[in-house]
Amino acid sequence: MIEVHELRKVYGERTILGGITATFERGQVVALVGPSGGGKSTLLRCLNGLESFDGGRIAVGADVLLPGGAKANRAALHRVRQRVGMVFQQWNLFAHRTALGNVIEAPVHVKKMPLAQATERGRELLARVGLSHREGAYPHEMSGGEQQRVAIARALAMDPEALLLDEPTSALDPERVGEVLDVLGALAADGLTMLVVTHEMRFAREVSHRTLVLHGGLIIEDGPSKEVIDHPKHERTRAFLGLDRK
Amino acid sequence: MSGGSVLGPVGRLWWVVLLAMAVLSCHGRAAPTSALARVRAAGVLRWGGDIQGGEPYVYEDSEHGGRLTGFEVDLANALARELGVRAQFVQNDWSALIPSLERGTFDVALNGLEVTPQRVGRVRFTRPYYIFGARLMARRDDASVQPSLASLRGRRVGTLANSFSSELLRNVAEIVPYEGVEEPYIDLVQGRTDAVLLDDIIATRYGEPKPELRVVGDLADGYYSIAVRPAEADLQQALDQALGRLVARGELERILRRGNIWNDRQRRLAVWSDGDQRQMLGTAAAGQRFGWSHLVLFAKGAFITLRLSILAMALAIPLGLALAVLRLYGPALLSRLAGAYVELYRGTPVLLQLYVLYYGLAPVLKLGAFPAAVLGLGMNYAAYEAEVYRAGIQAVPRGQMEAALSLGMSLPLALRRVVLPQAFRLALPSVTNDFIALLKDSSLVSVITVVELTKQMTITSVDIRSWALPGALCALMYFLMSYPLSLLARRLEARLARS
Repeated sequence: MIEVHELRKVYGERTILGGITATFERGQVVALVGPSGGGKSTLLRCLNGLESFDGGRIAVGADVLLPGGAKANRAALHRVRQRVGMVFQQWNLFAHRTALGNVIEAPVHVKKMPLAQATERGRELLARVGLSHREGAYPHEMSGGEQQRVAIARALAMDPEALLLDEPTSALDPERVGEVLDVLGALAADGLTMLVVTHEMRFAREVSHRTLVLHGGLIIEDGPSKEVIDHPKHERTRAFLGLDRK
Repeated sequence: MSGGSVLGPVGRLWWVVLLAMAVLSCHGRAAPTSALARVRAAGVLRWGGDIQGGEPYVYEDSEHGGRLTGFEVDLANALARELGVRAQFVQNDWSALIPSLERGTFDVALNGLEVTPQRVGRVRFTRPYYIFGARLMARRDDASVQPSLASLRGRRVGTLANSFSSELLRNVAEIVPYEGVEEPYIDLVQGRTDAVLLDDIIATRYGEPKPELRVVGDLADGYYSIAVRPAEADLQQALDQALGRLVARGELERILRRGNIWNDRQRRLAVWSDGDQRQMLGTAAAGQRFGWSHLVLFAKGAFITLRLSILAMALAIPLGLALAVLRLYGPALLSRLAGAYVELYRGTPVLLQLYVLYYGLAPVLKLGAFPAAVLGLGMNYAAYEAEVYRAGIQAVPRGQMEAALSLGMSLPLALRRVVLPQAFRLALPSVTNDFIALLKDSSLVSVITVVELTKQMTITSVDIRSWALPGALCALMYFLMSYPLSLLARRLEARLARS
């Protein structure tokens, strides 16, 4: 349902994405791994239109994004963002709204859903991420793990066809990582399409169906997660996974 | 009276200085043995005036390299010669001539000072050196204004604040007080007032050249005299005798003719008697006591200050917000225009902006004084608000906007629902501080005839001949309005620091 074709992005002299081509099927959970600066997060942000790109195309269903940024893609961008939800490394919860307020904000103001209906659905989603008891809490009153779970509920509230997660556990205290991964595992089990940029190899191996390894703006390895992680072919992947050191 | 001038109000801060002086110095400093002896010993007669009063009083002749010119310059020189000394001009804001005389900045004040009961109670006046008529002017097409005070009952009449004419109008007409001599006639042409009552010298130069206006008539005679400190009777007598000699020799007439202000009225100067002098001085009106009526006027002034400030801020906030958003997110052209607006309004004095808005644009934009004051202050403060909000918006983490966009919000919706509420919260302490500043800046609007708290204070202090009580009361009222806001700002800041 998401097709990326020859996606290129340069930043001055530096090539961030050197021509990425990949297709992501409905219901697939894909892990994007690789060393920092390899282009994982940029690829993800391009898919949501938060970054412009310089060549190639992105198609989400029938909606196509082309080079040129927000100006050139205004209409498509709006539809793409409604179809594809985003979860950030730093959560980015709206600081002036409660947990529930964060979750119902977009349904009420973008989808024009009646407040009562949005609230009911918002409570369901908070229950799904295990935060029913925190619906009145403001972001600064919650732990990082709780905030990230609210952020996931907020993205789900728009009923996206796919969820993009940009290093969802990197900014968390180690003891908080598990609660977020549990939620993602449950979502994967429910059949939600997810693209996850992650450094959690255990999560990639056990939850995701497919793993892409990005290095230097290129996909250097692509295959079923267990295969890629247990038997990487590319020496860069082996280095990244620390296999050669053993 | 030389009036203030177009730039007169710039010197309005002087009253603050004066207030401090009233507190620090005790009144009635001991006079030296003889003022005349002191002047003669110094060899100079220092006389105070304001060159901003303009032609024909004392002014700098631009065609002769800014040489000091005017009939009062000639008069001062002639008088000094009679006393056997040299005349030395001391520049002083016109509205502060008498306080400056009292504190000893110069020996005499000689600059179109009209003999009014208020002034008679404060200084010693010599015999007059000029007799003027209080000239009433109205629009050519308005026949309802007659040459009598009665015809002015209840109408809006422009005049200079604390002048002889404003004294005549007291309790008769609705006085619209000005600080300059050009503006009353501009407003009369514009229909903002029904008539203007001012000295004939001023009317001849500033009112009569306007084809839309007509002279209705002269309502009363008034006098320009030289003011001397009350304790210096010998200096006054010496000046009286000197003036008498100038009149007798026909020199005063020559001086007045050279200034193009001689007329038949001046013939009375030649036959001036002690009886005339007593009549001119009248019974020095006992200084009014500060009473309930003044308190009511002060409360009114404070109310106008508050109303003006609130309305101006109510304009500045949305306008500033629009400017900030346009500057940060608008299309290139609008963004640059918003930037230019901010720089222009921050980079020029608000006083000038008020003048341009009220007098400069009068031919195309006929605003009342109060709406013009709200608009002028509001547009000025919008520039400051725009910068405060811009800083606030930029202080909201980028991720907030990204999260909003990623949820499918449009840029305007993301701004409205996510970024601006947080930016406004960050800006709130600054906005409160700006409002306090606006509260005080609002005193500037007296230049476009709005009588707010500070103006009320200056008017009252002339009435009761003391700055101490009205000044202190005025300060107290500003404080009562601004202090709760300061507390609020501090509390908001503390709350922000916590979260």
